Amino acid sequence: MSWQDLVVIGPLVGAVVVAVLVLLVDLVRPGRTVPVVIVSVGGLAALAALVAATGAVPASAFGGAYSVDALTTYLDLLFVAIAALTIVFAPDYLAPRGLPLGEFATMLLFAMTGAMLIAASTDLLLLFLGLELMVLPGYMLAGYHKTDGFSAEGAIKYFLLGSFSSAIFLFGLAFVWGLTGTTRVAEVADALTRLPNGISAGLGMGLAFMTTGVAFKIAAVPFHYWTPDAYQGSPTPVTGYLSVGPKIGAFALVLRLFVETLGPLSEWWLPVMVVLAALTMTLGNLVALTEDNVKRMLAYSSIAHTGYMLVGLVAYAADPTGRVDGLSALLFYGAAYSFMNLGAFAVIAALQKRAGVTSSLSTFAGLGRREPILAILMTLFLLSLTGIPPTAGFFAKASVILAAIEAGGPATILAVIAMLNAAAAAFYYLRVVVYMFMREPADQQPVLKHGALLWGGLAVTSVLTILLGLFPSALLEMAGTAAGTLLPH
Amino acid sequence: MSLDGVPVLSLITFLPLLGAVLIGFLPERAARPVALGTALVTWLVSLAMIAVFEVGKSGFQLVEVADWIPAFGIQYHLGIDGLSLTLVALTTTLSWISILASFRPIKTRIKGYMISFLILEVGMVGVFIALDTFLFYIFWEIVLVPMYLIIGIWGGSNRIYATIKFVLYTLVGSLLMLVAILATAFTFQGTTGSWVGAFDFEVLRHYAATSGFPDALQLLAFAAFFLAFAIKVPMFPFHTWLPDAHVEAPTAGSVILAGVLLKLGGYGLLRFAIPLFPAAALTYAPLIICLSLIGIIYGAVVALVQPDLKKLVAYSSVSHMAFVTLGVFVFNQQGLQGGILQMINHGLITGALFLLVGVIYERTHDRTIAKMGGLAGITPTYVAIFGFFVFASAGLPGLSGFVGEFLVLLGAFAFNPATAAVAALVMVLGAAYLLWMFQRVATGEVSDFLKSLHDHLTDISGLEILTLLPLGILVVVFGLLPGILLEVIKDPINDVLSDVARASEIPLDPMLVAGALGILAFVIVVRVVTLPGLRRPAAATGEIAA
Repeated sequence: MSWQDLVVIGPLVGAVVVAVLVLLVDLVRPGRTVPVVIVSVGGLAALAALVAATGAVPASAFGGAYSVDALTTYLDLLFVAIAALTIVFAPDYLAPRGLPLGEFATMLLFAMTGAMLIAASTDLLLLFLGLELMVLPGYMLAGYHKTDGFSAEGAIKYFLLGSFSSAIFLFGLAFVWGLTGTTRVAEVADALTRLPNGISAGLGMGLAFMTTGVAFKIAAVPFHYWTPDAYQGSPTPVTGYLSVGPKIGAFALVLRLFVETLGPLSEWWLPVMVVLAALTMTLGNLVALTEDNVKRMLAYSSIAHTGYMLVGLVAYAADPTGRVDGLSALLFYGAAYSFMNLGAFAVIAALQKRAGVTSSLSTFAGLGRREPILAILMTLFLLSLTGIPPTAGFFAKASVILAAIEAGGPATILAVIAMLNAAAAAFYYLRVVVYMFMREPADQQPVLKHGALLWGGLAVTSVLTILLGLFPSALLEMAGTAAGTLLPH
Repeated sequence: MSLDGVPVLSLITFLPLLGAVLIGFLPERAARPVALGTALVTWLVSLAMIAVFEVGKSGFQLVEVADWIPAFGIQYHLGIDGLSLTLVALTTTLSWISILASFRPIKTRIKGYMISFLILEVGMVGVFIALDTFLFYIFWEIVLVPMYLIIGIWGGSNRIYATIKFVLYTLVGSLLMLVAILATAFTFQGTTGSWVGAFDFEVLRHYAATSGFPDALQLLAFAAFFLAFAIKVPMFPFHTWLPDAHVEAPTAGSVILAGVLLKLGGYGLLRFAIPLFPAAALTYAPLIICLSLIGIIYGAVVALVQPDLKKLVAYSSVSHMAFVTLGVFVFNQQGLQGGILQMINHGLITGALFLLVGVIYERTHDRTIAKMGGLAGITPTYVAIFGFFVFASAGLPGLSGFVGEFLVLLGAFAFNPATAAVAALVMVLGAAYLLWMFQRVATGEVSDFLKSLHDHLTDISGLEILTLLPLGILVVVFGLLPGILLEVIKDPINDVLSDVARASEIPLDPMLVAGALGILAFVIVVRVVTLPGLRRPAAATGEIAA
């Protein structure tokens, strides 16, 4: 390991340092919220600056196993933003339940480190390492409310299926390693382009296992069953994090794995992805229609959004001219989805500040009268999730659809399916709006006081949700540059 | 008068937004005056727009262009021609009238109501002046949300069912339209190699007129645009959301719905669908004319048997708006003139009728025709005004309703005498249901129900007359001097006609027909599978309540 290597992995080291600092602060002032928030958010801001600084020049370390490029920077910044927002939203929910913020923030930061490692890995083993580092703290976070039965149940389901799918993924990885003799992304891709006579049975197995493993992680239908229980059971701020952090992290894995490593085999995995995308969108939305629990509904909605993002991947793979518009649309979608979904979960968490409040639809009845600002913000996030302009969600959907139409063929059919799904999805998103503004609550609930942190976080997410819809150009350009690094080498 | 350098169109579009933001920060009691003030200022600016508009000058005027999303050549591009001009003026006029008309009926959550209404105005005006297809789509969708809230929060007893039905119907159409907009832009980019102008209406229209879009794209994209617009118009068989939405909406909501929202569909057909895909428009024209005729007859027949005053007016809208599509798709001078006039006149007259129904509902809290009777003796002024607009709606010569329908009939006759004959017969039917309704409500013995109301049943108030007066004046003016309007819309009509004249019908490929039917079947299946609650009104609301 050279000094140069250390500089390149600087952001990763920085992330671990911030996590450790938070632990130390919690050691000095145990159980206190404010110091933890200051240290973690301040540390994350510094980390973001570091990421931006080191990302300016593409570099690689450890003999090409780890590399920093525009894609890494884009994803890292997104992960940092997700972690910071989650920490900001958490105290309002955790404090009334006596759950400490210190450990929460630490685990979150370690999970973020894992996601950042995925974004920078150009070696399959490192990818797996990053994946595990990302999801292990996630299991703990899901069960963070130890005394709550649902939390424990969700965590166990998440853990069992998560580790199961990791093993499947690793199994597939072993096949690929055995047949190509290397785990370096570029070398594997190179070996795959020079296959003597098509795909062998062993390679097919490897591909199938890896696809299955990844489909579990991004919660694509039919590998989505863990999602609703894990999401419903987890403490709400954790659910918000789980619905974006590990999902975007897993999509980073998809980009590094399917686009960079397995790109030469795209004719084999493309049909699978087409079917996965269509199933994921449609089933996610159909089931969400029947859910009366908002957290569960948003869990299925997040499955549907996985489908929309997969359309971006399909658009890239199906495009005969090799344009990366589909991938840049996917990256843009990831960012837009993160902010609006985190915002929506933050509102739910805020409502659950009073212990014992469930996330069922009736919790939202009369919210428009009781807490008009929260209700209006929730409406904004839901409209964005539906894809109504001028919001981030709309532009994200439009760019995915445009890429799919560009690609033509099966992608165009997916575009039409996606739009019809969006119309169906409007029904369940707007149902929440119906409850907030058009129904009276069964009993009088007190108006809650929310902390400045929550309002600050909601301000950031809502402003971003509108700004990315009105002026998407800047982020679109970043996403385009990031996707550009994925061009076949 | 010159307004050089003043972004008039942006002002008209975003002044209401400013008002909405202002209301958000002011106390509840300030909401009404601020909303009315904003709408009036917007209206005055729109009058200035009329003053500076140069009739007879071809092309778009008061154009504003700015780059918005350069990567895809998406622009903030506004401009008006005669067609946009009249519809924008209609919108700004009906907006302040509706806000004024809401003063008394809306008693709760006034702030939210006024904010919704002003944002609604932003979207409606934006649709009529956007010359970038992407921008157009955004305004198109912006209209949806405030209307959803207006019906859903301030509507009648079955409002949630009605509002969700309204949103879902509109969304299905408009999302497919988005796919078509993007596909059109991409086809343009594919052949010219550049995104510049891919969403620009003028560039696309020029491209459509010179090289033309490929046949398959035209057929599919036109179908998608048409679906979105036909749902809005609404054309038979996409009209079923309309009676529910109208009946449940508050009075002002109905006025805007009938007066402006339905026009968005007609405008979209004339502005985008026909000029961009003229060959497909010709191909589909026979089908659309058939649907229009069915709509004319169906709307009138159903209106005839409606027991509810508001529902009767709603179904009369279906019939009247079908005249618009009939006039447009016969593709001749008179037809188009009639179609556009009919849009304006329907906006004025039906808007007024909904206001009048609102006036009586305010006092009786009932709209059942059978319970009325002998109103002429109790509220003579009201009945006189009501009668005036009923006759206007029935197409009495000298009032504006007549001109539009007559021109459509002329156009239809030139196209095919049989078509005109069917439509003309229905005009008689139209007179029948309107006059019969008027007779039952206004004449005869005073009904027991009305007697039981005693002093509550006061005659129409000054404020209510004030809301109806401008509409009445315009109905008379446009009835006697339709030439004013015809002069303004002459150029847009000639543009459309020359677009269509250049195109030739696309021979229908059986595969394409099968594909289109397949998509249609898919849409129907998705709707039926995903929205079980929507098929049963009572159950649907119960389900939402569960």
